[in-house]
Amino acid sequence: MGLEYVRISPGFEKYMPKDYVDLVQFGPFGKQIDVQQLGQFKELVEEHPMCAGCFMAYFVRIFYASLPNPEDTIVIGTAGCARLALSQAAVPFIYGNYGDTNAVASGLKRALSIRFPDKVKDVVVIAGDGGLIDIGFGMTMHSWFRREKFTTIMVDNEVYGNTGGQESGMSPKGVQLKMAPKGKQFDKINAVELAKTAGCVYVAKLAPTNPKRIAKTVKRAILAARHFGPTFIHAYTSCNIEYSIPTEKVLEDARKREKQDFGFYEWMTDEVKEFFEEIERQKEEVKA
Amino acid sequence: MYYVADVKEKECAKYNCKQCVLFCPEPNTLMYHDSKHVAWVNYGRCKGCAICVYVCSDLLKRNCIEMVMVTAGD
Repeated sequence: MGLEYVRISPGFEKYMPKDYVDLVQFGPFGKQIDVQQLGQFKELVEEHPMCAGCFMAYFVRIFYASLPNPEDTIVIGTAGCARLALSQAAVPFIYGNYGDTNAVASGLKRALSIRFPDKVKDVVVIAGDGGLIDIGFGMTMHSWFRREKFTTIMVDNEVYGNTGGQESGMSPKGVQLKMAPKGKQFDKINAVELAKTAGCVYVAKLAPTNPKRIAKTVKRAILAARHFGPTFIHAYTSCNIEYSIPTEKVLEDARKREKQDFGFYEWMTDEVKEFFEEIERQKEEVKA
Repeated sequence: MYYVADVKEKECAKYNCKQCVLFCPEPNTLMYHDSKHVAWVNYGRCKGCAICVYVCSDLLKRNCIEMVMVTAGD
């Protein structure tokens, strides 16, 4: 929390782990990095135990590279695949009980705004379809009804991947899974429309096929949450194990789903739109 | 014995592209050399998913990355 906590006290450099020293020297703390610089700086997220070729891991990687202020951000996750990578990053991570991520985030955001009234502290929830729309549905919706100012990101793998492949509310209709042998009987929940109705000021839906666009969307969601109210991103992050996608075909599958039902969609209220237009205008003035 | 990605440096240096680096799901694994303008692989971290091979060979038709077999300790 804050740049002064990241720096190593003088004289202690040689006792710190090499990864940490690298992070302070070549990491993104205190710099405005662009997602296109990936591979040329030390990333916030470290080696993690997620499966080979997992696109949820990919989304988490791009997410950490696109945080506007990593040193002033707290990430909240819950049971599910994403926490395996989220907890390996150099950003404070809180593990909420299954389903209560948005309730924890509400309290945390309020506490932070009292403790640091003159600073901006971002709170971001990243949880799966089970944590947010199935088990945590009530608390997710109520945090939006209360217009809490933080970002909720749903990494939707359309299955309970950790526990053997049970269907979730977000699985597409008719899909046959290891623990849903009859095929799913109901439609996929329309989380984007729910978020719009519940009062989110910025809602986006995407498939991770374009890192620049993911970064832009994540940045926008966090900036809008600072000033206006709850924001929501619905990201398709396939489970290549439960859906039996060969690892080298994971990106191909994401591109296919993007054409089918995960085309890029962005919605925001008028005041948020004005806010972003103002930011773009200022950027262009600086350029000129 | 397991598969890891390996960049053919000579081939890769012909193009000033970074697409494989941007699509690797593992952090700090497929890196980009600033001055040589080539991608390089941190073999100890590569999980061998071959998404980079798909990006380079199937999407961009450049064939600069291949999967190679390594033994622990290489």
